[in-house]
Amino acid sequence: MASTIALEQPLAHESTLRQPAIAFERTPTYVYASVFASLSIIIGLIWDISWHTSIGRDGLLSPPHLAIYLGAVIAGVFSGFKVLKISFWGTGEEKSASVRFWGIFYGSLGTMFCIWGAFAMLTSAPFDDWWHNTYGLDVQILSPPHTVLALGIMSIQLGAVVSTLSQQNSLVGASKVQKLLFIIASGLLLVTLFTLSSEYLGRHDMHHSLFYQVAAGVFPVYLVAVARASKLKWAATWTAIVYSLMLGSMVWILPLFPAEPLLGPIRNHISTYQAFEFPLLLIAPCLFIDLVLNKFGHINKWALAAMLSVTFTLLLLAVQWPFGTFLMSEGARNWFFGTESWYFGSSPDWQYRFDFMPWRLHSGLDLVKGIAIACVVGLFSARVGLVWGKWMTKVQR
Amino acid sequence: MSNIISYKKSFLLFLSILFLGLPITQSHVGSPGVVFEGTAGPYSILVSVNPPDVIPGIAEISIYASDPDITNIQVKPIYWGVGDEGSPKSDPMNPVPGVPGQFEGIVWFMSSGTASIAVYVDGEKGSGEAVVPIMASATAQKEMDASLGWTLAGLGIFLVILMVTIISSSVGLGIVEPGQEGENLKRKKLIGGIVATAFMVLILYGGKSWWDSESASYKRWMYRPPLANTWIEQENGSRIMTFQVDSLSIKNRNRLPMKYMVPDHGKLMHMFIIKEGTLDVFAHLHPKRVDPLTFKVELPEVPEGRYYVFGDIVRRNGYTETISDTLDIPALIAEEPITQDSTWYDPDDTYIVSTAVDQEADDNLPSDILICGKPGVETPLLDGSTAVFEYQPNQSFIAGKVYPLTFAINDPEGNPAELEPYMGMMGHAVVFRKEGGVYVHLHPVGNYSMASQQIIEDRIAEDTPNPVIGQEADVFYDSVNQVVTQLALLSEAERTDILMQGMEHTGLGEHEEHGATVTFPYAFPQEGDYRIWIQMKRNGKVLNSSFDAKVVL
Repeated sequence: MASTIALEQPLAHESTLRQPAIAFERTPTYVYASVFASLSIIIGLIWDISWHTSIGRDGLLSPPHLAIYLGAVIAGVFSGFKVLKISFWGTGEEKSASVRFWGIFYGSLGTMFCIWGAFAMLTSAPFDDWWHNTYGLDVQILSPPHTVLALGIMSIQLGAVVSTLSQQNSLVGASKVQKLLFIIASGLLLVTLFTLSSEYLGRHDMHHSLFYQVAAGVFPVYLVAVARASKLKWAATWTAIVYSLMLGSMVWILPLFPAEPLLGPIRNHISTYQAFEFPLLLIAPCLFIDLVLNKFGHINKWALAAMLSVTFTLLLLAVQWPFGTFLMSEGARNWFFGTESWYFGSSPDWQYRFDFMPWRLHSGLDLVKGIAIACVVGLFSARVGLVWGKWMTKVQR
Repeated sequence: MSNIISYKKSFLLFLSILFLGLPITQSHVGSPGVVFEGTAGPYSILVSVNPPDVIPGIAEISIYASDPDITNIQVKPIYWGVGDEGSPKSDPMNPVPGVPGQFEGIVWFMSSGTASIAVYVDGEKGSGEAVVPIMASATAQKEMDASLGWTLAGLGIFLVILMVTIISSSVGLGIVEPGQEGENLKRKKLIGGIVATAFMVLILYGGKSWWDSESASYKRWMYRPPLANTWIEQENGSRIMTFQVDSLSIKNRNRLPMKYMVPDHGKLMHMFIIKEGTLDVFAHLHPKRVDPLTFKVELPEVPEGRYYVFGDIVRRNGYTETISDTLDIPALIAEEPITQDSTWYDPDDTYIVSTAVDQEADDNLPSDILICGKPGVETPLLDGSTAVFEYQPNQSFIAGKVYPLTFAINDPEGNPAELEPYMGMMGHAVVFRKEGGVYVHLHPVGNYSMASQQIIEDRIAEDTPNPVIGQEADVFYDSVNQVVTQLALLSEAERTDILMQGMEHTGLGEHEEHGATVTFPYAFPQEGDYRIWIQMKRNGKVLNSSFDAKVVL
């Protein structure tokens, strides 16, 4: 923090007076808060999934829910406080460095995303409760009320990313802490994206082209944007590393704790938490996304998007396909890869527990066609990612 | 006859005794609550269950156990599909503060199908358990209440406006360096706002379509009671009713095929017909099976008119259902009284004609019309005996509260009547709401199916999470037909002996003593005017009576 200028320090030079953003050089508390909120939410989310595959029964105030709510409250309160503080007690500089909205409010884009996310999560609670009472407790990850919750979560996490971005963009060279915060915030949002798509991205799907089509749709748009936006050279790779460590640590830590199914039918009798998914090997394609962007970032954007898409899809195929085979093998049935984890309601001796279902296998021409479609999906995903990334580099407030 | 008995005994081993040695099944329409009165080991308990109306959902349980020796009561759900092996550990019931002997708790039901609540009681006298069958199914079609609707709509509008603001700011002020606001900022903001609004409209439209599709999918899988087509044919002066199950109404409902129907107290179907509007005619019939979907029965001398028809059945997995229809019954053509000796007549069939609803007793009533009783009023029956619905005159009942509906019978001399079992039970009752919407069949042990209970108890005794159906549907169908036919050939005394055998292990409550009083524990599900028909047996004849009850909220 050597370059930090304290708020109370007089701004002597006239040119800096025209750039009041420098007054925010020290990372504001709400940025830390939003990144912490994002972390709390993602821990709660993965824990909650694990809870539902291991215990089943929960209440409004179950520990994983509390972790999610804590994130929502922290993000909402810190951001809301920040907006109110600037709006009603802020200095002229603070106001001029903020986004003015609805006539009276001033806030950064990051705080606005966090406030939106907190309200969306708040809205999802009574909606979800009504949903359960009307249609029964939903056991899928994505239902309409869960989607409102997920949008809220992603908005808070995006708020964390944007908050760190505005810090990074408004300074000449971001501090290490700010770069780190950006990478952590990005990695946590990547975990959410994976989680929401995980119904198509499990190990049983890895030998089918739908897996690669979904991955090519979901990941390039985000990873390209992050890589484009960050001032780090290997931003996509770092984001993938944060994602892998986050998801991996949940695989390694949760099964250390006891858990017992409290809902029938129970077909798989377990005594500890069942882990969520082992992270995808996104690090490999991310390395190449960074490489391509670093080397060919200046070429025609459609050509660049095509290059990014093909690189991402084929590299993911190259690593994830054999890794899928490995995850089905005995070698993966250990604490590190966690593939022995199995939903308590599923029969433990199901014949495809450690094997690919024949109807979910692609080979030959079907596979080639499916991967070609994935490349086309990835093309549009990466192209949108380039636009989004460009916008991210411009975020000032 | 001994051949028949030995055949039956060997077949019982094959089929399990439960299909025969049990009383009529519980079934219901519009009365989802289940009441159980019986024993768990040495303790008498009364269990009242309010099952979930959506699945997965929560059942609310109240247990009344007056024995002070009880120290702990636990409950858990057990599905026929996975048995005890696939059930979670039990949860303690919580004593209700200030109400000694009452316990409350909840149980989750995660999927549809034949299920149960196992109750485990511990105390000074040892431990015991009881099983209450529950048919888990989604039955509710709920709407959002206005206050929640407006709250969510308000939050939704706020979120849409804020998101439009965020997006328009994202392409406007949010990407402008402080102090560098240009001329075209407003235009950018406006375009951003328009695009964002269009985007949000698309999101909302997509969300609504998704919601609609989820709702439609839920409705598709909701439980729908099976229906039947019913018609009358005149044969040799008798009216023969054909009751044919509508195969479309039982399709794709996770039901076992109809060939897996099991006899309940020796009868494959227990049918009740009730005259629409006046409710002055009631009959309890036992149609015979012609094919898996078709049943026939000879109608007794009920007057012409439109009738509700309810057919109660049980399947091999313990799932009980009521199949319903309405039917226009024509007048009898025969000039002579019907002989009731046709193929389609069953000796346990019975009916009564009583005063119509809202009709006062009249001295000029024909001798074969019974006066409908009210609480607290001694009401004469057709054989000279009397019945009393043991409550204060004009007493109203509160909906949702469990009552012991007690009826006392006196013989013509005014002494307590000596009652006999009728189809294995000391009494049968049918409760019907005059305004419609509620039909339920009760016994002194509650309104659950004892056949279903026995099926689940046997399933619990199996040490496997995978149920064994036993036989191919065709073999099962033929076997059941044979047993029902053989049973019908027995004398009434022999049949009663066999039917009572299966009840030795069912833990019947105190109300099963032979005597003049019969109690049916029941909670009326909603307010309204109800008619209750009671069936008991004295001197070898079924005594039918009817009573009116008023239920308030």
